[in-house]
Amino acid sequence: MKRDQRMEIRIGGTGGQGLILSGKMLAEALSSMGRRVAQSQTYEPTSRGGFCNSDLVVTEGEVDYPLTSALDCLVLLDRMAVAPSWALLKTGALVIADTRLCPETPAGDCSVHQLPLTRTAIELGSERVANIVALGALAVLTGICDRGALERAVRANTPKSFLDINLDALAEGYRLGEQTHRAAATAA
Amino acid sequence: MNAIETAPAASMQLISGNHACALGAIAAGCRFFAGYPITPSSEIAERLSRGLPEVDGVFVQMEDEIASIAAVIGASMGGVKAMTATSGPGFSLKQENLGYAAGAEIPCVIVNVMRGGPSTGMPTRPAQGDIMQARWGSHGDYPIIALAPASVREIYTETIRAFDLSETLRTPVVLLYDQVIAQLTETVELGDAGARGRAAAAERKWASGPRESYRPYAVDEDGIPAMSRPGAGYRVHTTGLNHAEDGFPTQNPEAVARNLGRLLAKFERHRDLIDSWQALACEDAEVVIVSIGISARAAIRAVAMCRARGVRAGLFRPVTLWPFPQAALREATAGARAVLVPELNAGQLSLEVQRILGDRPVDAIHRYNGEPITPAEIAERASSLIDTTGAGSAKAPGVRRAR
Repeated sequence: MKRDQRMEIRIGGTGGQGLILSGKMLAEALSSMGRRVAQSQTYEPTSRGGFCNSDLVVTEGEVDYPLTSALDCLVLLDRMAVAPSWALLKTGALVIADTRLCPETPAGDCSVHQLPLTRTAIELGSERVANIVALGALAVLTGICDRGALERAVRANTPKSFLDINLDALAEGYRLGEQTHRAAATAA
Repeated sequence: MNAIETAPAASMQLISGNHACALGAIAAGCRFFAGYPITPSSEIAERLSRGLPEVDGVFVQMEDEIASIAAVIGASMGGVKAMTATSGPGFSLKQENLGYAAGAEIPCVIVNVMRGGPSTGMPTRPAQGDIMQARWGSHGDYPIIALAPASVREIYTETIRAFDLSETLRTPVVLLYDQVIAQLTETVELGDAGARGRAAAAERKWASGPRESYRPYAVDEDGIPAMSRPGAGYRVHTTGLNHAEDGFPTQNPEAVARNLGRLLAKFERHRDLIDSWQALACEDAEVVIVSIGISARAAIRAVAMCRARGVRAGLFRPVTLWPFPQAALREATAGARAVLVPELNAGQLSLEVQRILGDRPVDAIHRYNGEPITPAEIAERASSLIDTTGAGSAKAPGVRRAR
């Protein structure tokens, strides 16, 4: 990333999916790599359900405006996040959509990857770790974050009882991302 | 003048605005917090509930907002630096006691994280609708200081300054910022600011000298009465009623005029301590944007966008919102053809800017739907003002409403 180059990421879905937490984990990982990060959130006053977006602005220099307005990357963990986010996508943006909860996305000049994020989480034993699966896939497909840094951030923000499953979820996310990456390379 | 950011530094931290407020309070010497949780300010209380006991401070979750500020005033009268934090509806509830603190000159810090209103409004959405309430919210005539930080780092430094001003000038200080800045997590460097804050931590003016002749509201040339340290043996009477120098209630017109007049003029001789603002690229600006909080962050980007398209824009950002740094605003806008005030309410900051600039045209973007104003919107409006307010064709004076 060049100095003053700005990257905008949104992890969108519904309240209770741990989106703000995963945004903070990614922010922490990037911050530890020396990047300037601004992580913001829009959510509704309910602890479960309602829309929830966790946004990151990542730069090498200072962040002047900390909110997103032109997304480079969008993760959709629920179809509810499509409407408020779609118009913000940059041309050629990367979109990662969950196969179960966001099976359809509008047409657009962006590259959409349907990945089984929540299904993978359910297979691991808890749908609650879909946010971590998404983090792994996002890290691979954007290439924005070192795996070591991300793993440290996940460890630092996970209670003991969830540590094993969260690390498994991160690994699965990386696997899904790499698979997608290879498939895209082969197709090209 | 304050800048939003500092140069890259060694010890970067990733913290939220509310977290920075809690850290700033502790660095400033705050050792008492009483509050009642309310979105989007609750993280301040949450952080202090853990942070204050570690420095032998006291954290109390009270039964409501009114009791919270009452406890804070009591703690301050007991000699401790004290703070409460709330949002919109809670700030409304605190107004009567805020007036008491202003009238009785009790130092304390009140944080109000602005959310949508009126009433319970939109708990999780940003607004800047309490600008006028922070100035005029309690009844009667009284002076108040309100500070309006626009970044996570500035919340930290302004929290420290809030305590310093509050203690030095014996006044309640309101720290006013919006939900976006409150819950924004940013990479910041606090090392220097923290050290500076602690080194400069202000001490209240305590009473000294003979006990017999002490009068709680008698002043010398700085206009600030010396407070009696609890247990020091001075006779003190504190009341919300109008009082004379001896602290006892009075309705004697001369005594009331003398003491209240002194109170109302108290800040004027300390404007050098109080005034704070950022003037960004105003020197040659043909359009000056005046804004606070998240709207000012959007304006910083808008200034760059305007300049990239050949429109000379600048930003004037009051960091001390009340009393408004009006001389600085006049200076920053002296050469401008247009002034634009983007704010998240139906028109508050623009009223003050219009008051200060008299009959000069002041345009505004007013929004109250819970959505922040974007840099592109500000840049577009600012550019349009220059396109249409060419020499000799200035717009009619007065605030124009956007939506």
